[in-house]
Amino acid sequence: MNLTVNGITHGVDGRELATLLDVLREDIGVTGPKAGCHQGGCGACTVLVDGEPRRSCLLPAGYADGTEITTVEGLGTPEKLAPIQQAFVHHYAAQCGFCTSGMMLAAHAYIDRGGTDDHDAIQQALGGHVCRCTGYSKIIDAVAAAARGDSFDLTTTAVGKYTTMATGGGE
Amino acid sequence: MAKHTGRGIAAIEYPTGMNQNGDPSQCWIKVKPDGRIDVFAGTADIGNGSKTIQSQIVAETIGVPYDWITYDNSNTDSSPVCTGTFASRATFVAGKAAEKAALQVKQKILEIAGKELEIDPTDLEIVDGEVVAKGAPQTKLSVGDVAAAATWGHGELITGTGAQLKPYAAIIDPETGEVDLPPHSAISYAACSAEVEVDDETGEVRVVRLQQCYDVGRAMNPTLVEGQIEGGAMMGLGLGVLENCYPYYPSVEHRGGAFGSYLAPGMEDMPQIDTIMIENPSADGPYGAKGIGEMANNPQPPAIAAAVHDAIGVWITELPITPERVLRALEAKTEPRREGKKVVFDGELSVNAVSKGGITFEVPA
Repeated sequence: MNLTVNGITHGVDGRELATLLDVLREDIGVTGPKAGCHQGGCGACTVLVDGEPRRSCLLPAGYADGTEITTVEGLGTPEKLAPIQQAFVHHYAAQCGFCTSGMMLAAHAYIDRGGTDDHDAIQQALGGHVCRCTGYSKIIDAVAAAARGDSFDLTTTAVGKYTTMATGGGE
Repeated sequence: MAKHTGRGIAAIEYPTGMNQNGDPSQCWIKVKPDGRIDVFAGTADIGNGSKTIQSQIVAETIGVPYDWITYDNSNTDSSPVCTGTFASRATFVAGKAAEKAALQVKQKILEIAGKELEIDPTDLEIVDGEVVAKGAPQTKLSVGDVAAAATWGHGELITGTGAQLKPYAAIIDPETGEVDLPPHSAISYAACSAEVEVDDETGEVRVVRLQQCYDVGRAMNPTLVEGQIEGGAMMGLGLGVLENCYPYYPSVEHRGGAFGSYLAPGMEDMPQIDTIMIENPSADGPYGAKGIGEMANNPQPPAIAAAVHDAIGVWITELPITPERVLRALEAKTEPRREGKKVVFDGELSVNAVSKGGITFEVPA
């Protein structure tokens, strides 16, 4: 079978019945999708298959033969982050980071489908993704910002915003 | 059969770090010939942001821009000891070690700059990456030039080390257990009010709002502190109504086989959360900081339990407050009665309102 991952086509033989997650991580070496629960329950393994978010831990790799697969590695580059990645950075939407790639791919697809910054709609769209660190509010803020098309100056996010502790630790 | 709303409040205090137990963190810093700063520390950043915070502390203490700092906690060969990221200590204890190391580096930079500028180091200060003569800001030398002079001219390496260790406390009165040191270096305080909706038919408790107030000592990076508090609220909500550490009712053979049988809060379980931070500085933490990591999930469960009592008049004395526990408590509900100075609610929990000026809870045998 041929799997096109982030624009590069890989020929993989004899692994049609393995999960797409295992083939991506172990055969192709793309480790953005995370193995969380391996039961389709946590969302950490989410990838885009022809633009649609799919739990790669539940999908036999053979089903993805001939499709275009996008993982977090394909969203943007370190030099040019995708809008959703910029929003996650700016809003501190990641802590340990394990859920982040799945969250961003699902959010990217939600915005692609015309999703808005409506709080409840974002909750609905990302409801199947579990995060144990953030309490979700900063993730929802980030997705809403990306849905609105907010632009960010990331050089001021971690660096400039809070450096002067002597003046009270705030903005 | 109806839904009942209720509101409850809880207040907590929380100690920071493993005080009295010999709980060291260490840090060392070297300055590269271009003035950029390498920080080596063993603190594991588990998503709490300790790399960011300690880098901020070093940058602030020395007086250089944040992005000059490279923070390396990648291996135990190059990094000194840090006992770990626990007990809310990463900023309070390890951050203090970073501050001490940075102070040594600052002193060394000032000494070498003093030689270069022929000015007494005590008349110099470091402002935004430049060593400046106090009162004569046109006389200055960049930290990069100082580091280059140290490397190529003076034959010196600018380094600093810092260690933070609360000494062991010795017991001075075996009768009472009194020790010779204050019990804790920093105590944080917090309060939380919870609003809940309880369905007396299904027993389901839905938390609709949490209002929280935390004394954090000093919020060096308020967004990161907020992240700890919001995450803690989610964990506290989970402890209060969803998550059971031993979810194997009635016995271990019945443990869940699926991820979903452990009820971690999802996005749609989250209520409106309003948070207030109070900066009440500690004496011992870097820049007055206290710990926020662990106390952030403490006040929600008791506040939720109090709100459930406000809603349906029964005290649930076990967590999490599951539908089954709510329904059993409602079944067993009896009117509270007085026994002398105690108010006994439902045979499970009493409130003694007069003991030592506070309220104590008693569970009769």
